[in-house]
Amino acid sequence: MARAGAVEAGAVEAGAAPLPPGVFRAMGTVVSVRPGVTGPQADAAVAAVATVFARWEARCSLFDPESELSRVGRRELALPDASEDVREAYALALHWRDATDGAFTPHRGDGMIDLNGVVKALAVEEAGTALDRAGFVRWAIDAGGDVLVAAALAPGSTQPAWPVGIVDPVDRGRLLARIDLDGARRRAVATSGSAERGDHIWTMPGLGPSPFLQVSVAAADLVTADVLATAVVAGGPAALDDLAERHDVDVLAVLRDGQLLATPGWPRAQPASAAGAGSPGGSGNRPISPMAS
Amino acid sequence: MRRRAMILASAASAAAILGGWQLGNAETTTTVPATTAAGATSSSGATTGMTGASSNGTSGTGSTQSSATSGAASSTGSTSSSGATDGTYTGSTVSTRFGDVQVQVTISGGAITDVTPLQLTDHDGRSVSISNRAAPMLREEVLQAQSASISMISGATYTSAAYLQSLQAALDQAGF
Repeated sequence: MARAGAVEAGAVEAGAAPLPPGVFRAMGTVVSVRPGVTGPQADAAVAAVATVFARWEARCSLFDPESELSRVGRRELALPDASEDVREAYALALHWRDATDGAFTPHRGDGMIDLNGVVKALAVEEAGTALDRAGFVRWAIDAGGDVLVAAALAPGSTQPAWPVGIVDPVDRGRLLARIDLDGARRRAVATSGSAERGDHIWTMPGLGPSPFLQVSVAAADLVTADVLATAVVAGGPAALDDLAERHDVDVLAVLRDGQLLATPGWPRAQPASAAGAGSPGGSGNRPISPMAS
Repeated sequence: MRRRAMILASAASAAAILGGWQLGNAETTTTVPATTAAGATSSSGATTGMTGASSNGTSGTGSTQSSATSGAASSTGSTSSSGATDGTYTGSTVSTRFGDVQVQVTISGGAITDVTPLQLTDHDGRSVSISNRAAPMLREEVLQAQSASISMISGATYTSAAYLQSLQAALDQAGF
């Protein structure tokens, strides 16, 4: 029984520190928007993204007792009578349940339907579409570690890729790796794991705790990346091999002992020169010191 | 011709089984002819035991069309006493539980020397990689992130409380 991590109630603390421009709280986490422009247009882009998130939260948040999904859970609202957003998100979650042999599922152990595993990614995808329509061409959105970037302007165009850092789950002040999103075959990367919220992903029956501390999946779209990252954490190495072979994705998984597993397509550093003794482990994982505001 | 078709049929089904084996979900244990196994390009690493999904292609898949034949194959196909005409043949599409597989078979000296999966599509018709298995990777091998060049961070989902100590917050403040 795997599901995406539920957001703790009250995750939005009262009197929380102010956030930098282009950043807002939603779905129990924080969304960062890079509109690719500055000035009033940038503010409009962030507002457009926030609007999309607010709608999805009203539909599917289990921490809002008045959300449609909460009402469905209380049997106040029959699923067929729910909005198209909810029904389509549920159908999508069921599709992925089947596509992952149950490693990903929207059904919680207590019988509740939990769509967190797809809703955040759906919100980011829809927000991106809204930015496209508004004429933004080089945007990126990061919703609690789920990253989606604008499509490349044209196939084969030489616009620079978006470099995305992957957090080291052993030392969250450092970066473990980098993956460059090209805006085409790789527009999205999502990371799932137990580093942040405890073991928030239920593993498949009989598997025990996940052997993976953290799993990152890069794909052409964020729903695929997000769902498969969750499914691999839930399903273990067998799910990793199976799902990586069935989908066009790159995967980097961190085992509990810190060892890494990666699919062949995950970007690698240039091979160390034969002359050198190899770089010492962890070089380049430089911490970023938060800048004084 | 009929004999060649039978050989190709068995090659196709063997390849389908092999494709299932490469996909790594064993359901039934199947013995794969050694000649086929030798020519298979498997990237799934050190797997022992030829187990494969039982394919429904073990019979009736002999309707093969010869594709761009390499070298010695002639379209008329004078069959030697040892079996099939040398050349490269494209088999028909075989369904497995993972999707459809189409294979290319190379016959040399009357024996199958190579079986290459040409395509594998999932049930939605999209092509599927069959060589995307995860392997151990050293930390020195990963592409390192220079903080100055990074604009976004992907990590296990952080709460808004954790965000304030996160790398993403630092990048947001810096306006990357």
